[in-house]
Amino acid sequence: MAAPVCIMENITKSFHVGDQDLQVLKGVNLTIEQGEFTAIMGTSGSGKSTLMNLMGCLDVPTSGRFILAGRDVMQLNDDELSELRNEHIGFVFQSFYLLPYATVLENVLVPTLYREKKKDHVRDRAAELLKLVGLEERMKFRPTQLSGGEQQRVAICRALINDPELLLADEPTGQLDSRTAEEIMNVLTRTNERGKTVVVITHDADIAAYARRTIHIRDGIITES
Amino acid sequence: MDLRRILLNLKIARRSLVQFKWRTSLAVLGVFFGTFSLIIVSNLSGSLAVKTEQEIDSLGTNLLIVRSGIVRRVGAGTPLMSQATNLTPEDARAIKDSIPAVAALSAAGYKTFPVRYGNVSLKGILIGGVEPNFQDIRNFHAREGSFISEQDNLDRNKVAVLGRTVVEKLFGDEDPIGKYILIWRVPFQVIGIMEEKGSDVSGADQDNQIFIPLQTYLKVLVNKTNVSNIFVQITRDDLIPATKTDMEALLRKRHKIGPGQNDDFAVIDMKDVMALKTQAMDLITVLGRIAAAVSFIIGGLGILSIMILIVNERKLEIGIRRAVGSRKRDIILQFLIESSIISLAGGTIGVFSGALLSVILLRVLKYPFTLSLTGLLIAFGASVLVGILAGIYPSKKATQFEPVDIIRT
Ligand SMILES: Nc1ncnc2c1ncn2[C@@H]1O[C@H](COP(=O)(O)OP(=O)(O)OP(=O)(O)O)[C@@H](O)[C@H]1O
Ligand SMILES: [Mg+2]
Repeated sequence: MAAPVCIMENITKSFHVGDQDLQVLKGVNLTIEQGEFTAIMGTSGSGKSTLMNLMGCLDVPTSGRFILAGRDVMQLNDDELSELRNEHIGFVFQSFYLLPYATVLENVLVPTLYREKKKDHVRDRAAELLKLVGLEERMKFRPTQLSGGEQQRVAICRALINDPELLLADEPTGQLDSRTAEEIMNVLTRTNERGKTVVVITHDADIAAYARRTIHIRDGIITES
Repeated sequence: MDLRRILLNLKIARRSLVQFKWRTSLAVLGVFFGTFSLIIVSNLSGSLAVKTEQEIDSLGTNLLIVRSGIVRRVGAGTPLMSQATNLTPEDARAIKDSIPAVAALSAAGYKTFPVRYGNVSLKGILIGGVEPNFQDIRNFHAREGSFISEQDNLDRNKVAVLGRTVVEKLFGDEDPIGKYILIWRVPFQVIGIMEEKGSDVSGADQDNQIFIPLQTYLKVLVNKTNVSNIFVQITRDDLIPATKTDMEALLRKRHKIGPGQNDDFAVIDMKDVMALKTQAMDLITVLGRIAAAVSFIIGGLGILSIMILIVNERKLEIGIRRAVGSRKRDIILQFLIESSIISLAGGTIGVFSGALLSVILLRVLKYPFTLSLTGLLIAFGASVLVGILAGIYPSKKATQFEPVDIIRT
């Protein structure tokens, strides 16, 4: 079996608020194998997003050991973290976060702008991804001209364009109605079935049910069910 | 980042600029005026340099002029303080014989006389007694008929070559060649007509004069032995200053002028005369450059403020780009390119309208047409530089936004 995508050992994360230290994660141990579909659940403020930002290398742990895609994240500088995000991680956010001035196609292409190893036919690949989520007719649209569900599908295509090992979604259905949420979860499930490791954060048990593994976070530590 | 990536980024950025139309236009306007004035100034001064060159050449190649008398002021008006009478054809011969850098020379006497043909009489026409090689030394040739020959000079023939203006005044449409005119009271036969020359540096109409053989002039018209000018052609351009000094020393010796005494002649390098004329243009050039610099500063400040605005407006975009893997330097590069493009846009419009206006100005002023390539490059370079300088602070600021801070929901 291949090496795990993500290994976290005794990870802590504290924030300085005023002159106080707020410890949000208090020793998280978590291994995510390749091809897994994992849901992370917890109440609001429990530290789900904090954990996901660490997994996505948007932020670094205060202490602990953290291996992602075979790299020791604690040793990487800012540029190396950027490169790691660019090549190995795809993000999907609750509020989509598409560039308002860019078209659907351009939005999907943004991560390729920063890819060191150039790939040919990125446009074809973007078009192909958009087709998979049923947006081939919307490539020249602006995000504001799309529904929420459509915007989130564009965001998923953007997350996948550089072919990352790990797809992270922080409450991807949080702003969508239940039918649209179902569509999005189906897209994520199909993505997982094609071999991608997927991690979804949610506080909705119905959403978590799509995943094969569920992790709960409470009081800064995690438990598995 | 390769060009395709840069272009895609610019396409996205251009759409975000649309919402700051007015501010962007104002910022662009500053750079516009900067390049605009730079281009105009460089084209005008370039053209003036060409014109000056042409004027100097039209006076004669590598020309030094010896004038009799003390020259207090060069240029228009009455330049002579005292009329000396001791510059002679022998001085000319001595210069020719003892200074090797002298290629050719022609002594000349000038005086105004009344001229008459039939019942048309003209007062105060400048009569020049010249030698045959005057034509080549002064680059001023007979266009019809012939010029004064060596034989004419030796035999003191009463022949005349007329300037265009004189021909028009005396003859109108009639063919003057072969006809006789009276200079003072002496009949002269017209043997040639000079080419058109226009006015000289001092503004005098060079077509309003008549040339006759020097010897005829001296013996028949003025009854003197001294000349007013010696036109000297020097072999090489770079020998002119040294030869000027040599000629002055020689003439001082021949005229027995001791140390401390004033010369009774002047050796004039026409390039020095022209230098005076270009001084006025130099001032305009300096003022134009100052105006350009001020405009560039204003444009730069405008771009600085618009870029700060844009960066703040696009915090989220920066956060997203950072999240999907852009490095800080990619963000810096992106905003530097954007600000230089804004600046270059103004610069380009300025360059083209500046070039257009200078073409029109040169046409109107009847100046030679020149497009200064260095001016063009400096203008483009300056606008890119302004854009980059104005973009440094905002783009640094853009990298301070950490993706986690921005994408927290
Ligand atoms: N940058 C920060 N500075 C200070 N405190 C922070 C910061 N980021 C997160 N926190 C705090 O950490 C705790 C966990 O936040 P986090 O966003 O991870 O919660 P969450 O589980 O994602 O909640 P939600 O379900 O509401 O999204 C909160 O109490 C929050 O205030
Ligand atoms: Mg959250």
